[in-house]
Amino acid sequence: MDHLDPSALAQVLTAVIDGDRVHFPNGHEACAGRVIVEPANPREIGEVVLKCESDGLTLAPMGAARTLAQIRRRPADVGVSLARMARIVDYEPHDMTVVAEAGLTLGALNTHTGLHGQRLPCDPAKPELTTLGALVGAAKSGPLRLSEGGVRDLLIGIRFIGHDGRLIHGGGRVVKNVAGYDLMKVMTGAFGTLGIITETTFKVRPLPENYSLAITSFDDAADALMAARRAEETASLGHLEVLSPSLGDEFARTGRSLVLTGFGGSRTEADYYRAHVSNALRRNTHMLTGEDAIANYQRLRDFDFAGAAAVAQLAVLPADLPHCLNACAAEFRAHAASGIAQIFLASDHSNDEICEAVRRWREIAHQAHGYLRVLAARPDVRAKLEMFDRPPEPAMRLMRRLKAAFDPKGIFNPGCFVAGI
Amino acid sequence: MATDSHSPVDSRLIAELREIVGVDGVTSRATELKVYECDGWTIEKAAPDLLVRPRTTAEVSAVLKLLHRRELAFVPRGAGTGLSGGCLPLKAPVMICTSRMNRVLAVDLANRRIEVESGVVNLHVTNAVKAHGYFYAPDPSSQVACTIGGNIAENSGGPHTLKYGVTTNHVLGLELVLPDGEVAELGSPVDERCGYDLVGALVGAEGTAGIVTRATLRLMREPEAHRTLLAVFDDVEGATRAVSAIIAAGIIPGAIEMMDQLIIHAVEAAFHVGLPQDAGAVLIVELDGISAAMDEQGQRLSELILGAAARTIRVARDENERAALWKARKRAFGAVGRLAPNYATQDGVVPRTRLPDILREISAISRRYQLRIGNVFHAGDGNIHPIVLYDERDPSQVRRAIEAGRDILKACVEMGGSLTGEHGIGVEKMAEMPLIFSPDDLMVMAELRRVFDPDERSNPNKVIPTPGGCVEVATPRRQAPL
Repeated sequence: MDHLDPSALAQVLTAVIDGDRVHFPNGHEACAGRVIVEPANPREIGEVVLKCESDGLTLAPMGAARTLAQIRRRPADVGVSLARMARIVDYEPHDMTVVAEAGLTLGALNTHTGLHGQRLPCDPAKPELTTLGALVGAAKSGPLRLSEGGVRDLLIGIRFIGHDGRLIHGGGRVVKNVAGYDLMKVMTGAFGTLGIITETTFKVRPLPENYSLAITSFDDAADALMAARRAEETASLGHLEVLSPSLGDEFARTGRSLVLTGFGGSRTEADYYRAHVSNALRRNTHMLTGEDAIANYQRLRDFDFAGAAAVAQLAVLPADLPHCLNACAAEFRAHAASGIAQIFLASDHSNDEICEAVRRWREIAHQAHGYLRVLAARPDVRAKLEMFDRPPEPAMRLMRRLKAAFDPKGIFNPGCFVAGI
Repeated sequence: MATDSHSPVDSRLIAELREIVGVDGVTSRATELKVYECDGWTIEKAAPDLLVRPRTTAEVSAVLKLLHRRELAFVPRGAGTGLSGGCLPLKAPVMICTSRMNRVLAVDLANRRIEVESGVVNLHVTNAVKAHGYFYAPDPSSQVACTIGGNIAENSGGPHTLKYGVTTNHVLGLELVLPDGEVAELGSPVDERCGYDLVGALVGAEGTAGIVTRATLRLMREPEAHRTLLAVFDDVEGATRAVSAIIAAGIIPGAIEMMDQLIIHAVEAAFHVGLPQDAGAVLIVELDGISAAMDEQGQRLSELILGAAARTIRVARDENERAALWKARKRAFGAVGRLAPNYATQDGVVPRTRLPDILREISAISRRYQLRIGNVFHAGDGNIHPIVLYDERDPSQVRRAIEAGRDILKACVEMGGSLTGEHGIGVEKMAEMPLIFSPDDLMVMAELRRVFDPDERSNPNKVIPTPGGCVEVATPRRQAPL
């Protein structure tokens, strides 16, 4: 409803939510919503949804504002902040499950579960800024996806507000459950286009003992990628990251490509992996343990490529990753054994150069039967870029039907997912 | 021929189907169709009017296009080992069985992927890569017979899913023939999704979205070493305490399985693996990982189990002993056939910490309905499998068996659990769905199903309760297969 200015829009929303919980966006929020509302419970979100459906207003989940701020071309009318819905609802360490509201950050959740020696082993950058809703909605992951799987593998229950303001739930709080259709999978990675996630239930895992981080440097990225594959072929590692030279330099001031291998377990296991990694990488390896290892793992996890002109995620089969990255000829951070890499262009590139690079990367990904997704791009170039790959028909048609079934009025975060959904 | 004046199946349809799949691919004789009247849920039975066994995706597509033109409903079937009546034909005259689509299409060890047709038997996937040191993780007890297509429909689990996850965690891409015959590629071998996770939506949809014809699966590397041990307890309370102690210590073994006294007796009589007859319960616990760590971890595990009042612990000394323990566990259901003419297996789930409570409740239900109930289950997951014994010749026992099963599921739900951990809703548990889902939840699930199957012709009257979905309960005639 572009004809309403933000003040008029705020006025409309005060019909369903207290005026002191309606405000104008700050900073990156401005890319996601023109007016922000802060409901305190699912019922209030339901009322906001109904209002938006009746008045033709669009909605975006503000937990994902940092993600959306990187890709949205223009804001939705209403940003729904879950800042007031950030509680742990139920945590039973012996069941190894946790139920939490979607406005809680991953960092806060793991601070709490850490007191019991457990964690939700999803590790996108900046967990203290990543809400559980954003984690699920954007299917965010990090180095640990190698050993712990993605968020889709850990989410066992969900509640969300769908069209007509209905509160819907799927799954439950038991670790094994096939009752009903898997709404968790439907909502994971849907970028808020099917409803507003209000509550999430996860499996949690024990924190690893004796976490160690092995850092090995290589003259060039291709060697590093090949060595990483050797390391992974024979051992179950916690994570296995490869940094191209410029990121390697940022990390360790070596100016060289780095392989960063993480593992944990009993002392015997840690000793075994340490020897194995050194042997497989065929280089002297700098081994970090204790707090030092954890601090460096966090730096590795938190790379956010700030200042890059464009960042994209390449996803191909693991064995194809080295030659695809070589062909892309860009700096990267790779979850090497998963076949995933974030590649980026530095800030001094023109819009034409960005478009050309993304086109070329996408072509390389598609030739390898993989995908390329733009994670971030300068605002002035977004209109010229396809952020997402387009799924093939008839899968795309099924996706359109899914969107129409779950969001018949087209209000949930429109225009920023695959093929304009 | 099974056709009658009420059946929409006519000789022209049969002829057209034979054109597509060959004469030997269509079965219409009632005596032969009797074999397909139920799966492992034997309380309800209904034979299809027609069985079609295509050999290729193109044949499946042509068959479904024909049924679409005729507006006929169909039921997909793999090996028929399901335990919830998932492939029972309910107002669906045609059954489409994937048993002739049983080829392994491509093995890609460099990327740990395998592509198979949906009629491939679960164990054959592991067999195809075992020599290279890999395995396919989901391992339901029926894995010598059940198919990957059936596993995908039910989102099957198995003992080792405690550590490795269930089917949905291992399926990357699918080829799906939609109910109108169109062929859709969903997902891909790449470990990232493009658009909505339709593969995730489809796994566990119980065949209500069309027919899966191919799947790309994830392979796991076989651990360097296993340590499998049998822990003997005086009672199930002690065994559940041991499970809690293991989990609380932050150990996630490959599997933690429990059998109670009734099952121990049946298994021992059938397989003679040396289970003590006077034990109240046993646990089979399996660690896996690197060889160097097995002694240390085994020692720690033994201490925890003995600390929870285990009577003895026996460690499998070699691969033969390990295999014997697993054979006993995986064939426990079959061994139960020695105890009663019939049995019905339940599949509830409770939070792990509620295991002692649910087992007490099951004892009470057993007394209340005067039926013996054995327990063999995935203790580490809280996924129980109470086996209700009955004699189908006694209608009162059949009725009590059904009611006892429902009471067990209600108790699971009251304890914060679920109706099914790995067997599916099927027809068996449809009536209980409102115990855990609101009308709005069920409506959204129905909307999701109609994304794939707008006319609800693929496996109709399953999963979501509908007023017209009641099954005519046939007189049971045989007990469940192994």
